[in-house]
Amino acid sequence: MKRIVHFIALLLCSLGLIPAQAAEPVRIGFSIAKTGLFAQAAPSQITAYELWANQVNAAGGLDVAGDRRPVELVWFDDESDPAKSAQIYEKLISDEKVDLLLAPWGTPHHLNVAGVVERHGFPMVGNTAASVAVREVQPGNIWFSTSAIPDRIGPELAALAKQSGVKSVAIIANVLPFAQENLQFLVPALEAEGIEIALNESYPPDISDMTGLLSQIKAAGVDGIIALSYPADSFLYMGQAREVGIDVSFEFLLVGPTISAFSQAFGDFADGIVTIGHWSPHQSKWSRAKPFFDAYVAAYEMNPDYLDTALAYMSCEILEQAVATAGLDRDKLRTAIASSTFDTINGEVSFEGVENAVTPTAFLQLQGGDMHLIWPEDIATASFSPR
Amino acid sequence: MIEILISPQLAFSALVLGSLYSLIALGLNLVYGTMRLLNIAHGDLIMIGAYTTFWIFTLTGIPPFVGLPLAAGIAAAIGAILYFSIFRRQLSGIDRVERIEANSLLLFFGVSVILQNTVGMMFSGSPRAYQFLDTVYEVSGLMMTGNRLAILIFAAIVLTSVVIFLTRSQYGLSISALIQNQTAARVVGINVSRLQFVSFISGFALAGIAGALVSMTEQISPFMGFPFTIAAFVVIILGGLGNIKGGIIAGMLLGFVEIYVVVLTSANFRSMLIYGLFVGILLLRPEGLLGKTRRH
Repeated sequence: MKRIVHFIALLLCSLGLIPAQAAEPVRIGFSIAKTGLFAQAAPSQITAYELWANQVNAAGGLDVAGDRRPVELVWFDDESDPAKSAQIYEKLISDEKVDLLLAPWGTPHHLNVAGVVERHGFPMVGNTAASVAVREVQPGNIWFSTSAIPDRIGPELAALAKQSGVKSVAIIANVLPFAQENLQFLVPALEAEGIEIALNESYPPDISDMTGLLSQIKAAGVDGIIALSYPADSFLYMGQAREVGIDVSFEFLLVGPTISAFSQAFGDFADGIVTIGHWSPHQSKWSRAKPFFDAYVAAYEMNPDYLDTALAYMSCEILEQAVATAGLDRDKLRTAIASSTFDTINGEVSFEGVENAVTPTAFLQLQGGDMHLIWPEDIATASFSPR
Repeated sequence: MIEILISPQLAFSALVLGSLYSLIALGLNLVYGTMRLLNIAHGDLIMIGAYTTFWIFTLTGIPPFVGLPLAAGIAAAIGAILYFSIFRRQLSGIDRVERIEANSLLLFFGVSVILQNTVGMMFSGSPRAYQFLDTVYEVSGLMMTGNRLAILIFAAIVLTSVVIFLTRSQYGLSISALIQNQTAARVVGINVSRLQFVSFISGFALAGIAGALVSMTEQISPFMGFPFTIAAFVVIILGGLGNIKGGIIAGMLLGFVEIYVVVLTSANFRSMLIYGLFVGILLLRPEGLLGKTRRH
């Protein structure tokens, strides 16, 4: 009887109808901010990793240069500490002997881990790092798939505002690094476009009420507001802007609108909010985009984060396609990542140095509860709609 | 500038923020006042209250006001479990206040980590939110979002009820006596252990209520509690540790200072001025604004 069962299992495996679980798993390591400051943000990344791993295993395993092998994720909590993240990658490579690496969450963690992967010559595709500082990283073993880099966001956002008829803006900015880096490039870009900056205020990350700030913005009589905010203050802004009677045609929030909870909290009132992001499931030219969105919603009963989850999933797709051609040999893998063009949920991606050379810096807008790309024109899924 | 300063909009926001600060600090103050326990997991109980309300509303559509007693009940139940499993023994075995405070800090730190990670494992760390009572009402030019108005009303009801209870009822007066002097309270026949238990779970329940109200306007996540813990500690230290009325006044004061400081100076100075005020008051009046030297 046992022999018959084994024969049937072998037959189904050979036909690709059930995964070849007997094969040694490909161990893929990463650190995750399970606790600490970034613990709220990190789930957007780990859900993408889990979804991808489950999909790969359900499809018979990871294609390792022709052989199918199951994927096993190996992760440790970095407690939101970039230094600890670097130690974990050291451990993953030296002690755990993982076959592949996925990226940690956030810019500081990426920058800390860059030294480790460089020292070991272990290629890793980054995802949620967004700073001009990524260009200072030694190219060769780390690549950044984002196009939301502040020195590009500034000029593009100013151009979008100008095209949207904005003549004067108020800027409020969180003092945390990503917001301030954006502010640094945004102000000259707005001035270059001839847009008046009527108010430019920064605020601390623990701000718990914005009524005063918003009252000043209202008094300034601007037609555009750019809030270089993080998720908590994006929520605060939205909750209080309507109460203060803010009524402008162009409202931009830096980080926050792409997470599922944002739409759940504000519903129709969030319509028209513009934010950073270069992926939308509505872009029909990207054949993988909508299936990914549907699979994510089915798995987690919420929308993916249009920025971080999309980036994390893209990095998995890039790694998957590189491994399919190069296998697990690090030199071949490095060459494959650096020189290939990948088909991702965000369209084609290829790298020049450490940067994504294809995906343009783009902006999203909530329209009728859906997140649409509104900039630039060649990937837009809808036109800008005034608030 | 003058127009903004005298606008009812700022006064309304200051009242909402101040009442929330007062409510958040009330439970912490009650637990410290009666037992000298420093509950640094207080913000995590606010998180528990927020999650309870979120799930009740999301799964059944029952409004947060109706779900609020359950949020208080779950937080109180957690309090009861912790009291009987850990803190009753701690309180009975140690006489020195300093030792109780130090031990409670460590124990509550552990409780905080366990609560955060348990909720994280149960519901993931992804932020969640819901839309409730977000219509804007206008009264004589003052715009009020329904959920913020509800926070103000419910916080005012809870704060007033607690103050009346503590100052008018026999049981409340016993708690006040316990806060003022535990030894004297014991001498005059007050059942200290029972009152400590009631105060302990009441403090937790008040945190649950605060969480239910907070959930109407903020995103919730397993890690949302820490800023509330910090705010509550600032308020109770300003008002005088264990001084219930002082804590309420300090919460309101902090709300007004925060709102008007931003307009008068810059939002950038907000934290600097608030903590500057905190340090300044501690230097001038180490016992807090309305605090008195206590005896254990």
